[in-house]
Amino acid sequence: MSTPIPFLPAHEIARQVRSGELSARQVTEAVLEHIARVDGIPGQLGGDPQAEPDKVHAFITLTAKRALTQAETVDARIAAGEDPGPLAGVPFTVKDIFTVEGTPSTAASRMLANFIAPYTATPVERLENAGAVMLGKVNLDEYTFGSSSESSAFQPSPRNPWNLDRVPGGSSGGSTAAVAAGEGALSLGTDTAGSIRQPAAFCGVVGVKPTYGRVSRYGLIAFGSSLDVPGPVARNVTDAALMLQVMAGADPHDSTAVTLPVPDYLSGLEKGVRGLRIGLSPDYFRITYPDPQDGSLREEALPEAIRTAVLKAAEALAAQGAEIVEDVPMPHTRYGIPAYFVISRVEAASNLHRFDGVKYGYRTSQPVADLREMYRKSRGEGFGVQPKLRILMGMYVSAAQYSEQYYNRALRIRTLIRRDFERVFDPAGAYRLDALLTPTTPTTAFPMQDVYGDSVLMQYADQLTVPANHAGIPGLSLPGGLDAEGLPLGIQLLGPDFSESTLFRIGRAYEKATAEEAWRATTPKIVHG
Amino acid sequence: MEYEAIIGLETHIQLNTETKIFCSCKADSWNDPPNTNICPVCTGLPGVLPVLNKAAVEKAVLLAHAMHSEIRPVSYFDRKNYFYPDLPKGYQISQYDQSLAHGGYLDVPMRDGEMRRVSIHKLHIEEDAGKTKNEQGRRLIDFNRCGVPLIEMVTGPDIRSAEEAAQYLIRLRQLLRWLGVSEADMEKGHLRCDANVSIRPKGADYLNPKTEIKNVNSIDAVRQAIETEIKRQIRAVEGGGKVEAWTLSWDEDSGTLSKMRSKETEADYRYFREPDLLPIHMDEAWKSEILAAFPELPLERRTRFMAEYGLPAYDADLLTAERSLSDYFEAAVSAYGGDPKRVSNWLLNDVMRMLNESGKTAGELRLTPQFLAEIIKMVDKGTVNTPTGKGLLEKTEETGKSPREIVEAEGLGQVSDSEAIRQICAQILADNPEQVARYRGGKTGLLGWFMGQVMRATRGKADPNTTRRILQELLDTSA
Repeated sequence: MSTPIPFLPAHEIARQVRSGELSARQVTEAVLEHIARVDGIPGQLGGDPQAEPDKVHAFITLTAKRALTQAETVDARIAAGEDPGPLAGVPFTVKDIFTVEGTPSTAASRMLANFIAPYTATPVERLENAGAVMLGKVNLDEYTFGSSSESSAFQPSPRNPWNLDRVPGGSSGGSTAAVAAGEGALSLGTDTAGSIRQPAAFCGVVGVKPTYGRVSRYGLIAFGSSLDVPGPVARNVTDAALMLQVMAGADPHDSTAVTLPVPDYLSGLEKGVRGLRIGLSPDYFRITYPDPQDGSLREEALPEAIRTAVLKAAEALAAQGAEIVEDVPMPHTRYGIPAYFVISRVEAASNLHRFDGVKYGYRTSQPVADLREMYRKSRGEGFGVQPKLRILMGMYVSAAQYSEQYYNRALRIRTLIRRDFERVFDPAGAYRLDALLTPTTPTTAFPMQDVYGDSVLMQYADQLTVPANHAGIPGLSLPGGLDAEGLPLGIQLLGPDFSESTLFRIGRAYEKATAEEAWRATTPKIVHG
Repeated sequence: MEYEAIIGLETHIQLNTETKIFCSCKADSWNDPPNTNICPVCTGLPGVLPVLNKAAVEKAVLLAHAMHSEIRPVSYFDRKNYFYPDLPKGYQISQYDQSLAHGGYLDVPMRDGEMRRVSIHKLHIEEDAGKTKNEQGRRLIDFNRCGVPLIEMVTGPDIRSAEEAAQYLIRLRQLLRWLGVSEADMEKGHLRCDANVSIRPKGADYLNPKTEIKNVNSIDAVRQAIETEIKRQIRAVEGGGKVEAWTLSWDEDSGTLSKMRSKETEADYRYFREPDLLPIHMDEAWKSEILAAFPELPLERRTRFMAEYGLPAYDADLLTAERSLSDYFEAAVSAYGGDPKRVSNWLLNDVMRMLNESGKTAGELRLTPQFLAEIIKMVDKGTVNTPTGKGLLEKTEETGKSPREIVEAEGLGQVSDSEAIRQICAQILADNPEQVARYRGGKTGLLGWFMGQVMRATRGKADPNTTRRILQELLDTSA
């Protein structure tokens, strides 16, 4: 039986649409029908978190009409003998933290529930210009603040297609749940501490955190501006590479988007890993938690299944000719979360200042005595718990009397983490690595409501992904098998700045090496439902 | 007891770039209705990012160099966080600890001929906020000014009187216009000034609490407001009270100061590096490109004019008040080749009046320095007489034609050919026998009348000396 349209790879859809085997409209209709079957009611303000527990609930806003119009445009261009672009007719979703002109851009917050953006984010614009068809905006943690997508003000929040009682991860949980469930071949996510890679691992899909600055942030509603990166979510490495190819590159609207030319990510994809040096670090095989009572740090080993998945991947790559380098020291890994806690909160608190009820977004309907009270009530009512916690913490650690002790110290840790990577990727150094191979997450997808409410523990879900954000380097999370409960395991590749080509190449070699393994044939339960 | 005032000025200078500092909206909104020069970036919509306007940095470098400030090879933008309705992002993008430039000074000539050196403590680039106003119980916001580039410049406590503060601002305004970095019009808010004022017994070496005066919108207002505040502080101290660190607002209409707020503690703006902008790397290549066209500054030029052209201080001062005029003067002197003082006289007497009447700068005149020199030379040579020469200034300006062309086309050349003049004079005598008889009868005062007739007949072109000589000859000898 041939693959149903919702599960066709993006590059296959584009090929068939461009060659006329399929029309963009056919593809869009098929995927919209599939969404109607599996997604259930979209997240909404005041929605019941427990509603329809047998559905995915990836969406906040489904833009079906807009999608069909776009698909028709693609088809018309093909009929006119034009090339609509490398993503012709490929259905994709957008994390609702990006602005898209004329559509609600909510950040999953009551604060922006009524905000219709007057302009389109650069990465979305580039995807659409390449012929991709946007299906709608998908759910996330409020303002991306979380690792389970449960903190969304739009409920029900997304569920994990592999096990609907589990979280999809976050904050790009709507993106990864949608892609895993066949609701679009691609999704545009953002990664500030692991927000693409962690949910990609939880949902058994491919997630890319590009090098900081590789993709424009214009139109991304900011969380931690020095850490945020837009990136692809896809079901395979080739699709992820194709998507990044279209999005990457300089942007006159974002001066932090680098002007370095974008290499051809696809041409080297099948080159294999012979001669590449891939490192394993013991510092990525343990996790450090703060003790909730006394704040002391406790070290724990990773679950055996995760450890085994990474080591098996290393073996598979070694069998393809890669050189595996063991015992690579990455000593500052465990300080990643504490430093992130400080830096990201300072930036978040400042980035949230603009939501004051004056110009757009939520404004209190209660009577107010003065301007200050309007601010207080609008922000008090408009923001959920996560933004409030982050504002409090951010204000505290950047106050004049504390910033040296917290913020400046965190910045120094950030530099040390960056140096860890520079040392092992240095082509003239002792390790000369092309990439590090690590687990993506310390656990598999946790049950819904299990961790939500413990903001500190939730944050530690990002412990193995956040160092790449501190350092600005690229990371790629790949499906690495299933655990005994049938939940996806994620493996992560980290490389030096702008090494996306190498990471894709390794990822593709791993895909080919494991193509025949039984778990590759397994699909999430929901897709049959 | 005798007191001295300790004054420091904090100025905000609006740079005259075409577009705003972080977006491509038009920067100057003076004539535009509210909220017309705005976009998602300058109104702080979710998801937008600032992109630095290079021209703002370049103008800032020109000013920093003119102030003898040290320009940092790497400088950073920082966020200054505070809530205000006309600050759409809830933070102002500014520079904090590693600003574009630091240190420096401005030498200010005082009326008594002394030079006062005013040190510069801070010089940084930032974006302007919008404007709010209260109208019928509503608060209205105009975002046009959001993102207009500013330089904030703070002096050391080096100024000792209201008059010195005024002189500082006059010289700063002159410099800003001279460099072409700001229109520096205080009434339009291009140049804004807050004054920090304290007093102490003359000769003391400590500083007393200071007050900050805001809302002073002209140089006269700065002078008056500081004057008023110094007197108030002296009265307070003499009366046994003390000066508290207030922020005061100047009311121009009533000429009074009122207390805006007490200022016990500094607000905490929680500055941190702006992650949305890259640092400014001011390498030598870029800096020398910017400074390649750096002009001679007004005070240097004033001194040189006196030394090189032998001009009196008065002339040199006037001619260097404005760069375009001083450039014009030099170009005219060089085209003329004669006595610079003569050029100065023509410029300050006649050309200045044209400038004042038309509102043009010297550089905008169609009467170019070369044309002016041509006119003066024609007068010198007697090709035209002085009144015709002065008339040529206007004609050249109106037509844009060269003065020589105008003289030829209109036949304005002075008639110095005595044979031609003799014929005209003889004709006039023949036409007016009664006047001739009266002259010869002793009314020699009529010579002026005859002169007038000749001038009318020649449309002013006859050389007056020749005419007088011939008339006298004809009237006296043919009797």
